[in-house]
Amino acid sequence: MKLDSGKKGLVINLFSLIGFIFLWHILIVLAREDIFNIPFMRLRDIPTPVETWGALAGSMFTRVYGPGVTYGIINHVEASLIRVIQGGVLAFVVGVPLGIWMGYSKLIGNILNPIVEIIRNMPPMAWIPLAIFILVTGGSIFIVFIGMVFPIILNTIHGVKSTDPRLLDAAKTLGASGFGIVTKVVIPSSLPSIVAGLRIGLGVGWMAIVAAEMVIRSPVGLGYFIWNMGDLGRYAEMVAGMIVIGVVGYFMNISILLFQKRFIKWAD
Amino acid sequence: MNKSLKILLLVFAALLVAGCLQATEKVPGEEDKPVNLVRMGGQDMIQRLSTGEIAGFVGWEPWPSIAITDGYGKALLDSGDVWEDHPCCVVAYDNDWYNKTENADEILKRASLVQLTSVEYINSAKDKNSPYHDEVVNFTMEFGGIKNRKAAELSLDNVDFVYAPNIKGAETFIGRIMDFGIFDVGKWNQSGYKTAEEYANSLITTEYVDWAIQNKDTPLKELALNKTVTIRYGYLINDVHELPFYVAWKKGWFDDVGINITLAEGAPFQNGAFEMQKGFKAGTVDIGSLGIPPVIIHRINSNDFTTDDARVEVISGMNNEGSVIVVARDINSLRDLRGKTVGYPGPGTIQHVLFLMAADKEGIKVSY
Repeated sequence: MKLDSGKKGLVINLFSLIGFIFLWHILIVLAREDIFNIPFMRLRDIPTPVETWGALAGSMFTRVYGPGVTYGIINHVEASLIRVIQGGVLAFVVGVPLGIWMGYSKLIGNILNPIVEIIRNMPPMAWIPLAIFILVTGGSIFIVFIGMVFPIILNTIHGVKSTDPRLLDAAKTLGASGFGIVTKVVIPSSLPSIVAGLRIGLGVGWMAIVAAEMVIRSPVGLGYFIWNMGDLGRYAEMVAGMIVIGVVGYFMNISILLFQKRFIKWAD
Repeated sequence: MNKSLKILLLVFAALLVAGCLQATEKVPGEEDKPVNLVRMGGQDMIQRLSTGEIAGFVGWEPWPSIAITDGYGKALLDSGDVWEDHPCCVVAYDNDWYNKTENADEILKRASLVQLTSVEYINSAKDKNSPYHDEVVNFTMEFGGIKNRKAAELSLDNVDFVYAPNIKGAETFIGRIMDFGIFDVGKWNQSGYKTAEEYANSLITTEYVDWAIQNKDTPLKELALNKTVTIRYGYLINDVHELPFYVAWKKGWFDDVGINITLAEGAPFQNGAFEMQKGFKAGTVDIGSLGIPPVIIHRINSNDFTTDDARVEVISGMNNEGSVIVVARDINSLRDLRGKTVGYPGPGTIQHVLFLMAADKEGIKVSY
């Protein structure tokens, strides 16, 4: 039987995933049976894939034990996603106009560039203590904002600067105003780059939110969940939460790619 | 996106849904908004209460007394109101240390005797007329990080120092921790314990305290070990509950019996869960003091039952009661806290379990 390249890819994908899970299982079992252990690691304490799966299934929805309510992973995903979206919208609203301005006007670019260049090198996590001290609420959203705004600004600038000069000249020749040039030529032409910035930004924002939720107090959120589970010695739930973070991040990336493919057909 | 990837995702999503279906039975009723517990350190509790960011906190002494003395909040419930004379902090030893230490029994006997001596000293010095009263208040201020003398006095009053371990109390805690679904069921089954009583009996040893009681009238120095041993000790940060340890350490009573105390790596710990996981389990603590709920929880949840690395044994008590729910002025009952945020030292701490118990009595829900 001959497989076409798509099917072949699928088979390889599947085997690699299964192989990884199998390797994970073997490593833990070997460590628990004292046959092999990676030095300086307590591999035996890591849950096996089966245990992790059970924990994931068991903690997916909110559970109530007597007076205690433990929120389900879906509630934590929801809370984290909402924060990322809030921070993302804020970053988009600030980042895109700023990027266009900086890319379009040489003067503004020269003024703001050094500031952006320095601040963008401060990782979002470095802002956490400051966020705790100065913000009464919304610290996590602020951290997401910091993580997302710079990729958006930089990609927008890049998009604006790579607008085809012939298009600009044509628009000017035809008598378009400065505002018209920006809205009708510059923005559409830099849209693919802006969306790319958004995609990168979301990746950073998603990582930042998990870190922020571990430190900034809030009763719900994925970062909070895995930290809490660790505190209770529920390592299987903790690892399940980590996997969910990966899976959600992956789907976020994919959905933006799909969006890009569907709505911005002139990309690439 | 390539097709194969799509199919892969679909399969994964289907598996995820399938996995979750079995877990849907326990969706909660929405009739009651829960109190939201949020983890934070003691200083933070006071600061956040003062800014109105949290409606209250449940903390160990000295934080409640400081918050009350400085006027940031009022006491809503003493932990003694939730459960009279409940056990709180205890002294425990690491089983691995015990197995590799030849004269471990002799060391533990003396550690218990020092504990007894210290508790009796503090209890008599609590009396304002005692010649040692000022000294013990000073110790409280140092150990608890308290600046205000009045707060230190209040702290001292709120804590009952004890040396006898309380097996019945531990059994009650184990039962409640089971009710609250905090144990990892798989790990509990591995432990082999059938009942709370069985677990409590295997957790606590009274022989060392019995020995201490028999020898309490003998001067410490006469009972000194033949050779001084060094013990890596773990305790909780600024926790007035553990004052007997601090007093004994500072007054040199451990030295008198031939025990040289060194601070364990990572000590003082932020909460009992850390002390169990980063201390006892990791093998960096030989003997330590911490709340009994973290001991109960992590000897099951964090234990690797093939090596029993998180196995600890409780040899003596430290204190009873001594935790307080402190709230903002406009809060007058636990019910008023529904839908609001309350600070606590972390999941699995004694304050966590006590808060759940208080909520259970009141019929309200708590999220954590």
